[in-house]
Amino acid sequence: MVLEATMICIDNSEWMRNGDYSPNRFQAQADAVNLICGAKTQSNPENTVGVLTMAGKGVRVLVTPTSDLGKILACMHGLEIGGEMNLAAGIQVAQLALKHRQNKKQQQRIIVFAGGPVKYDKKVLEMIGRKLKKNSVALDVVNFGEEDEGKAEKLEALVAAVNTNDSSHVVHVPPGPSALSDVLISTPIFTGDGEGGSSFAAAAAAAAGGVSGFEFGVDPNLDPELALALRVSMEEERARQEAAAKKAAEEAAKQESGEQPSASQDATISENVNTGTTEPEIKTKDLMDDDNALLQQALAMSMDESSSAVATRDTEMSEAAADDHDLQLALQLSVQEGTKDQSNQTDMNKLLGDQSFVSSILASLPGVDPNDPSVKDLLASMQSQSESQQNKDEDKAPKEEEKK
Amino acid sequence: MACLHDHSCEEHDCSSDWSLYKHIDLSKVSALNEAVSGSVKSVFRAWEQRLNSSEGHLESNEGDPELIVFIPFTSDVKIKSISIVGGADGTSPAKMRVFINRDGIDFSDAQSMQPVQEWDLVENLQGVLEYQTRYSRFQSVGNITLHFPENFGGETTQIHYIGLKGEATQLKRDVVATIVYELMPNPSDHKTRSETGGGLSQVE
Repeated sequence: MVLEATMICIDNSEWMRNGDYSPNRFQAQADAVNLICGAKTQSNPENTVGVLTMAGKGVRVLVTPTSDLGKILACMHGLEIGGEMNLAAGIQVAQLALKHRQNKKQQQRIIVFAGGPVKYDKKVLEMIGRKLKKNSVALDVVNFGEEDEGKAEKLEALVAAVNTNDSSHVVHVPPGPSALSDVLISTPIFTGDGEGGSSFAAAAAAAAGGVSGFEFGVDPNLDPELALALRVSMEEERARQEAAAKKAAEEAAKQESGEQPSASQDATISENVNTGTTEPEIKTKDLMDDDNALLQQALAMSMDESSSAVATRDTEMSEAAADDHDLQLALQLSVQEGTKDQSNQTDMNKLLGDQSFVSSILASLPGVDPNDPSVKDLLASMQSQSESQQNKDEDKAPKEEEKK
Repeated sequence: MACLHDHSCEEHDCSSDWSLYKHIDLSKVSALNEAVSGSVKSVFRAWEQRLNSSEGHLESNEGDPELIVFIPFTSDVKIKSISIVGGADGTSPAKMRVFINRDGIDFSDAQSMQPVQEWDLVENLQGVLEYQTRYSRFQSVGNITLHFPENFGGETTQIHYIGLKGEATQLKRDVVATIVYELMPNPSDHKTRSETGGGLSQVE
């Protein structure tokens, strides 16, 4: 919800007649500008937006920064295409327009649509960028249309010179099936507004789909304070959930790394398997109530799951097809989640603990020599691990009993 | 213009003279061309802490020694003198120009406008120098803007402490906020309590 005054620099040069963006570059750009204006004014009602054109007879300011959306949309009508884009002059005039904004408390931002080729060289652009940075003006550049050699590089250099704290961005949009505005919705130009941008984007997407669904079912025009309050509480809730999810993910990751002493070189594969199987677990944790006991239970189950992944380690080692019935059982157990039987686990562990059984499995696998010293080491470590697993399981079982 | 702080501080309490930092509206302090956004707030401290820049200092961007510092106050103040502690190796500012009660001054404005007063600074690493103001011009200061156009040859300009000496009045300089303007007076907008049937009305 940053208080911002924005100047949008439109490219209305000859290069905008091209039809590689549907319906043509100029229309796509106009749609994107409409979307941006709406997003800015929605994210903060005191935001102002102005528009200027960079090509044609010369740089011309169509509307000075205003919060009146209708005025901005109206000025986009009847624009003529012609001439060449003058990037440097456009940015400088935009800076001047922002300097004379009415509310000096607003942050200054310039958004440039660069469709045509850029005739200035890198040094000039970098100097302009430094001047913008000195006066704390942020710059967003949308690079679309002509793919001149060096154009992308020049624009990257320009934005790098302006950028402080990731406030300025450059977005390259190649021609493709999706509309320019759709591509821009997911970029930092929209989401860089913070929460307001993304919620507007959702509403805009819904509106574009033909459904006039307002965010939260409340028309922001009719009741702005209510819409604002709802949006803020939604963002807070989302942030809280993200923090909780992150914490749970960290704890689960810590548990896993504690479980497996990485003796074998397949530790990475098994870890991948682990994260794969625990991720769905983590998601279910999110969906469940933030009940501490339930969370503990889920963590416990994920820990048990890692023990069954030791069995999958065997299968990963050989990449054998699951012809062997025992291997199939092991795979099934590791893939299952949520409805695991405790006793099943301890059975599995007992099986693993039985060294002869394990070595018989290994012998049946092609390419594995049970007399190989590394395999023997692995067996030894697995056995000790499965013993410790058994102990942990026994500890866990009484703990689970207590909790229940 | 500059006076040396050569008396012992037991005679009067120096720190109380330099206490205008308490009246600075820190949340609205801003600077232009600072390398780290927000670092300007760390240069306002008590007099005793003036050499203690553990919380950071204000530094300009690489290769560009100009700085502008905008300081709004919570109430109108009178400023008697200003003290600046710069950095070593030529990073101290060499000149200072101040503007009073102007909002939103940027570099092009600062270079073209006539300042209320300007000084040539010297390197003041111990913070013992102060620069006196023409007091009559600094009588009701709601905000002050300091512009440092040059330094002593360093790549950047560093400022570790800005001290302001003076007095605070209790007057607040408030911007005209919400006022209802009437094109034509409408008596129904100005009902007194007696007309609306409220309590007792006084006849004077």
